[in-house]
Amino acid sequence: MVKKPLKILNENGLHALPASRFVKLAEKFNSTVTIEKEGVEVSGKSIMGILTLACEKGSTVILTCEGMDEKEAFKALRKILEGQN
Amino acid sequence: MSRERILKGIAVSQGIAQGKVFIYETKQVEVFQIPILPVYLKDEIGRFDRAIKKTEHELRNIQKRLNYELGENFAQFLDAQVMMLSDKAIIQKVKQRIAEEKLNAEYVYHDVIREYAEKLGASKDTYLKERVADIWDVGSRVLRNLLGLTHSSVVEIPTGSIIVAHDISPSEAALINPKSVLGIATEAGGRTSHTAITARALEIPAVLGIKGLIGKIENGEKVILDGDRGIMIKNPSAGKIHFYEIAKKKVLELAKALSPFSELPAKTQDGRRIDISANIEFFSEYTHAKKYGAEGIGLFRTEFLYLTRRGSPTEEEQYRVYDALAKRMKPCPVIIRTYDLGGDKIFSDYREANPFLGWRAIRVCLDELDFFKMQLRAILRASVNKNVKIMFPMISNHEEVKRIHLVFEKVKKELRAKKIDFDEEIQFGIMIETPSAALLSPHLAHQVDFFSIGSNDLTQYTLAVDRGNEKISQLFEHFHPAVLQLIKQIIDAGHQTHIWVGLCGELAADPLAIPLLIGMGIDELSMNPGSIPRAKMVVQAITIPECEEIAKGALNFRTPLEVKRYLRRNIHRKFPGIDKVIK
Repeated sequence: MVKKPLKILNENGLHALPASRFVKLAEKFNSTVTIEKEGVEVSGKSIMGILTLACEKGSTVILTCEGMDEKEAFKALRKILEGQN
Repeated sequence: MSRERILKGIAVSQGIAQGKVFIYETKQVEVFQIPILPVYLKDEIGRFDRAIKKTEHELRNIQKRLNYELGENFAQFLDAQVMMLSDKAIIQKVKQRIAEEKLNAEYVYHDVIREYAEKLGASKDTYLKERVADIWDVGSRVLRNLLGLTHSSVVEIPTGSIIVAHDISPSEAALINPKSVLGIATEAGGRTSHTAITARALEIPAVLGIKGLIGKIENGEKVILDGDRGIMIKNPSAGKIHFYEIAKKKVLELAKALSPFSELPAKTQDGRRIDISANIEFFSEYTHAKKYGAEGIGLFRTEFLYLTRRGSPTEEEQYRVYDALAKRMKPCPVIIRTYDLGGDKIFSDYREANPFLGWRAIRVCLDELDFFKMQLRAILRASVNKNVKIMFPMISNHEEVKRIHLVFEKVKKELRAKKIDFDEEIQFGIMIETPSAALLSPHLAHQVDFFSIGSNDLTQYTLAVDRGNEKISQLFEHFHPAVLQLIKQIIDAGHQTHIWVGLCGELAADPLAIPLLIGMGIDELSMNPGSIPRAKMVVQAITIPECEEIAKGALNFRTPLEVKRYLRRNIHRKFPGIDKVIK
């Protein structure tokens, strides 16, 4: 399991477009993906869940990937949260 | 016979329509709780699956059409809607609850969606709050499919209708069929709303922002919609009907008579070429520009990129639109104007008392460099097509131009370092639309490759008149001697420094102004596509020496009325052929 807190650096926060990119990417991996913010945990493969977390730029979330490809998943998904993609 | 009534709104798309009112309402879907017998639970879940599939299919079709109209990849916001629709967490939850609670799919789905909508609605973030509308847009589509309700869809509107609605959602606006819809009138919306953009793209007359419209009008009623004046006429008198029938006939006849000119070059009798280009607002309008014979895009307003969404479009999204436009217009030039809106459109917490004299256009860009550089990079990348020029609006002093150059060079350097190609010779122009820039034009000319005179704003700022204010709009006059003198100074300043000078604004399309502007030496005229055939016809009827003579005399008057009277008289005498296109 890879689990780390990350800061949202994406310009507009994790809004509809980055969130949908995140979900599309998350679905490519076998691992389960979860995002946790202020004690609320949602599936990283659910756009509605992610949106309800209201991840603004500068907020901190915990990204967890668990499964066979957890390392690759974490590396790729982290990029979207940190606005490098 | 009831009395005639005129309903006023905002004119957003030109033309006249006579037809029957079709009141288009999106009704709230009603959902009831119904227990399901255990033996039917499997069917109920199957029904839910089919509704999701059907809805996805509908959304994809809408997306195809929007992408076609607004440019490749523009309807990405629908991707998000499709993802909301096919969100596994939601689908699973609904299925599970149907099975456990033994209730009907509509009820459970509605309940689950409401839960998410409420969570989002409670968010402090205004952007997220607005996504609630997206969720319900998707949600009610699914519910209607579950309930077997036909969508009260714009697709099924009878031929010969004028749509009357409170508002039309972007996904619905995209489905409007220009073959059956003659006109659009709504209570909400303005010049830059999705409905307005769609109406202009389809060349359907539209008047938006008519207050209390729906209460004043009935289904099936015959009305006249005047998209030039921004009015809807209820119970038109016989006289009005006659007036509009004649007006419509005249417009059609004139368009027919002028259409051959769209294919001819804009060359004066004595052989001088004048560049006639098009002002366009969004990507798909390039087809209109071509149809009417534009020799380039003289002004590509990039505002729609910012207005049809929240926040700034990414570099990639912008690049795709600019690149596609440049490719479609090749080898004709495309002049892309950078961000020309108030700061409030991007930085939503920003408000000011006097927006037209405030933090807007280049002033926003020079303060928000990351935002500005993103657009510059996108434009530069599209310039590999070799036909892209860049233009900066709202310049009012020398320092601004200097600072733009510094930023622009820096962006170029960064691109070179990354080995990203762009046109090293890209032309750099500024809009002259403030009196200060006009008066400083002899100095500014040394810093740029071209001037484009924004005659609408130049008039507004020179005369200190907001044309949107009905009480004073009669003071707004393009032919004001003060405005004409500034235009003359700008053209002279440009030519002394050997740069070209264009004009984009309503004046460029006015048959009364064209001989005058050409006499003053203008090199390019850029106008809305529909006016191009008429402008070409005027250009072909005139000769340079006579225009110069007209221009010389035109600057000696005290009032706009005197100027116009003088122009009419002289054009009539020298070029009688133009008379029939002058109002």
